[in-house]
Amino acid sequence: MHIDKYTDAILNCRFCFMCRHLSGIGNVAFTESDTPRVRASLLYGVTTGRIQLDNPDVIACLYRHDLSGACRRNCVKHFDEIGLNLAARADIVASGCAPASIQALADSLMQTARWTVDGSGEVLYFVDLYTQETGTVAAAFAKIMAKAKVSYQTVSGGCIGKGLKTLGYLPEAAAAAKQFAAVVEKSGAKTVVVSNPAAYDALVNDFPALGIKLAATVMHTSEYILSLALPWQNPQEVYYLESDFLRNYNSDLPAPHSLLQAVGAKNRPFGTNDEESYTCGEGAVLLPRIDASLVEKLAQYIEARADAPSTDRILVASPYTKLMLGKYTSLHVQTLEEFVAEAI
Amino acid sequence: MLVSSNSYMYEMIRSELTDIVGSEFVCTHEADKFGHSIDYYWIPEMWHDRGMETPRPDFVISPANAQEVSKVIKLANHYHIPVVPWGGGSGSQGGALPIFGGIIMDMKRMNKLIRIDRESLTVTCQAGIIAQHLEWSCNKEGFSTMHLPASISCATIGGFLAHRGTGVLSTKYGKIEDMVLSLEVVTPTGEIIRTLPVPRHASGPDLTLLFTGSEGTLGIITEATLKLHPQPEAREFRAYIFKDFHTAMSAGAELMRSRLQPCAIRLYDETETITHVRKVFNMELAQGSYLVFGFDGRKDITACQMKYAREIMEDKYQGQDLGSKGGDLWWENKYKFFYPGFMFHLPQAFGTLDTVATFDKIEAVYWAMKNVVTENFPQARFIGHFSHWYEWGCMLYARFIFEPQDVPKDPREAVALYNRVWNMAIRAAIANGGVINEHHGVGIKLGHLMKELYGPAMPVLEGIKKQLDPNNIMNPGKMGFKGV
Ligand SMILES: Cc1cc2nc3c(=O)[nH]c(=O)nc-3n(C[C@H](O)[C@H](O)[C@H](O)COP(=O)(O)OP(=O)(O)OC[C@H]3O[C@@H](n4cnc5c(N)ncnc54)[C@H](O)[C@@H]3O)c2cc1C
Ligand code: SF4
Repeated sequence: MHIDKYTDAILNCRFCFMCRHLSGIGNVAFTESDTPRVRASLLYGVTTGRIQLDNPDVIACLYRHDLSGACRRNCVKHFDEIGLNLAARADIVASGCAPASIQALADSLMQTARWTVDGSGEVLYFVDLYTQETGTVAAAFAKIMAKAKVSYQTVSGGCIGKGLKTLGYLPEAAAAAKQFAAVVEKSGAKTVVVSNPAAYDALVNDFPALGIKLAATVMHTSEYILSLALPWQNPQEVYYLESDFLRNYNSDLPAPHSLLQAVGAKNRPFGTNDEESYTCGEGAVLLPRIDASLVEKLAQYIEARADAPSTDRILVASPYTKLMLGKYTSLHVQTLEEFVAEAI
Repeated sequence: MLVSSNSYMYEMIRSELTDIVGSEFVCTHEADKFGHSIDYYWIPEMWHDRGMETPRPDFVISPANAQEVSKVIKLANHYHIPVVPWGGGSGSQGGALPIFGGIIMDMKRMNKLIRIDRESLTVTCQAGIIAQHLEWSCNKEGFSTMHLPASISCATIGGFLAHRGTGVLSTKYGKIEDMVLSLEVVTPTGEIIRTLPVPRHASGPDLTLLFTGSEGTLGIITEATLKLHPQPEAREFRAYIFKDFHTAMSAGAELMRSRLQPCAIRLYDETETITHVRKVFNMELAQGSYLVFGFDGRKDITACQMKYAREIMEDKYQGQDLGSKGGDLWWENKYKFFYPGFMFHLPQAFGTLDTVATFDKIEAVYWAMKNVVTENFPQARFIGHFSHWYEWGCMLYARFIFEPQDVPKDPREAVALYNRVWNMAIRAAIANGGVINEHHGVGIKLGHLMKELYGPAMPVLEGIKKQLDPNNIMNPGKMGFKGV
């Protein structure tokens, strides 16, 4: 079983309470089962045969996780409770126990991949489904690139495997990743730039783990824009909400903060602490389609922590988080690209 | 629970509960019921580790306010259903376990910070708030509750009040019972009451303290008003190694007798200094007993107190000074001891034998417990530190540890061995002037020793329980009170 690779997480998390204050879903649903302790304990029961992985309640519990990585980051030994949860999902799928709704979601991701590449240049900008849905993020990036006088290509059209991986469809995720890698290779690009941190994580971590080596360098837009060393300033007071993928999955990628500093923004601490995830479930990628009510609760949790919800200027790295906060709260949210483009 | 979950009556009760708290907050999922079947008590953890079934609740309810709590309690009285309050489940005594099934009243939805009173320096909150969340919110306003236990991340304010919990700064700021001004409580018959608004008065016995430490057996704490403190301008620590535990204890006691006001003192016996302090700090330490203490408040006063404390440590007791770095390391790593990798864990068998006694007795208590454990269970290790210090004495946080090969494979035999250690060690503590517990509470783990501790006073407690809870629905079978 896939979970056998995570025995250390099972054995250490199963009776541990030390990161429960960071359990995103636990904090909004007030449930005991939405914590690394109970999930690991359930999975320990699975390894002993006491609990069955085809139990619908156990499956539902495992698919509710927001996969923020905040607990793993807080953990002194960084036990990989995220890897464990993903492995359990893969076992559920492999044993044919995926709920019909999850199967349908996976099917829809497999069917929609139709890659289109436009433009020309050595930079390939990946417009993933969430970036596309905002309707504004890619435009902001275009404005920056025009001002910087850099021509670039865009690629869009589907899932590069991240969504499928979070659902537990590993072979299908690998196939999607390979397909995308071929598109990148064909484009001849030297640099792939992505706005969505989920895509960034897929390209820098998931792809190599699958043995896929991209010829191009992968950069998050914050890294790329920073590398352009443009002179624009936007010296406003902002609240930057960390991205799960950039902070918790990628060792605190410094670029978003460096970019804010470079444009002269005054970043104020949001909420009461810098440990919780304020992303609406970015790590789970598809949570809105698994249980939208959870995303709504996560969004409201964030709104309740704003100093002045109607006037605060919230910045995010993730188009996903922008979309969800826009949908469920009245907060004013921009992505980093939009914030920089605004100053042009 | 008196009705089977297959019966229509179960569904009738579920409907009534749904009517009170809403369907979303009446949970009967296997995963959540399972989550409430294990707390931080070694026995249920071991039971699960061995593949055994742990007792589940019939319903898990998450009320939003005292009114909903009251209605659920009235319903439970009507049908005689046990109700067990659950905060964070981090209690180590089995206090929150649904040993007779029934309703788990999970308090975490009651997580609101109601008011910060900047004039009186108090904070009023619902009881289900996780202590870290409360602390963060207070910090944002420039204050602190100064309640900083190792379980701050997981335990609720109600849970701490119910167990008389304590944090690392207890020596100056007190245990939770010293921090609380007043409570809102739903009694076992469903009345919503408030204790007096202030803790210092001469208006009869103190109801706040009656409910503090009652572990959910006398009612459900729904709201609390606690003291707040401004964040101190300075907080300084210093650590010493003493040649042996006795000298370190004498130095610590002297510091308390001097009436200087340390915010924390912690003393590790020689064994724990080697096995734990060195490991967590990743630091070479000389043989002996490690003692750390600190002061906080105004910078000049902190420095002045530190100066006098150093004189006691160095001039009178010849402590080897590890400097402020040796002390800061402890402060920075204060919670690290409790993370997996540093903490004991199954399949080891381990328990925290915490007790408290006056200075004239505390060493005798330590040796009595240590001797009884090491002589009767030569395969066990015994380590101890002294975490919470008062003007008159201090608390012993002793631990026994069995390595996996020394723990019986049969879970029933493992329980028997475990309980033999507890009984012998706690009886040794009582015989030498200690009590059965200092800040973890009683639960099911120590309930059977309550009669021995209280003697003829136990019927007083039992009388209070009977009067308040005529149907015995509130957390039955805990704290030495009778089961269903
Ligand atoms: C890693 C770790 C470290 C710890 N360190 C400390 C420490 O430093 N200091 C310390 O004091 N303890 C410590 N503990 C023990 C534990 O955190 C405390 O006993 C705490 O008081 C339990 O709170 P809880 O909310 O988890 O309560 P639970 O475990 O859920 O319940 C404890 C008891 O209180 C009752 N209860 C809960 N909420 C209410 C309520 N609102 N009204 C009435 N009764 C209620 C329950 O029925 C039960 O009897 C530690 C535990 C862990 C896991
Ligand atoms: S991730 Fe670390 S802190 Fe969280 S439950 Fe697991 S072991 Fe404990």
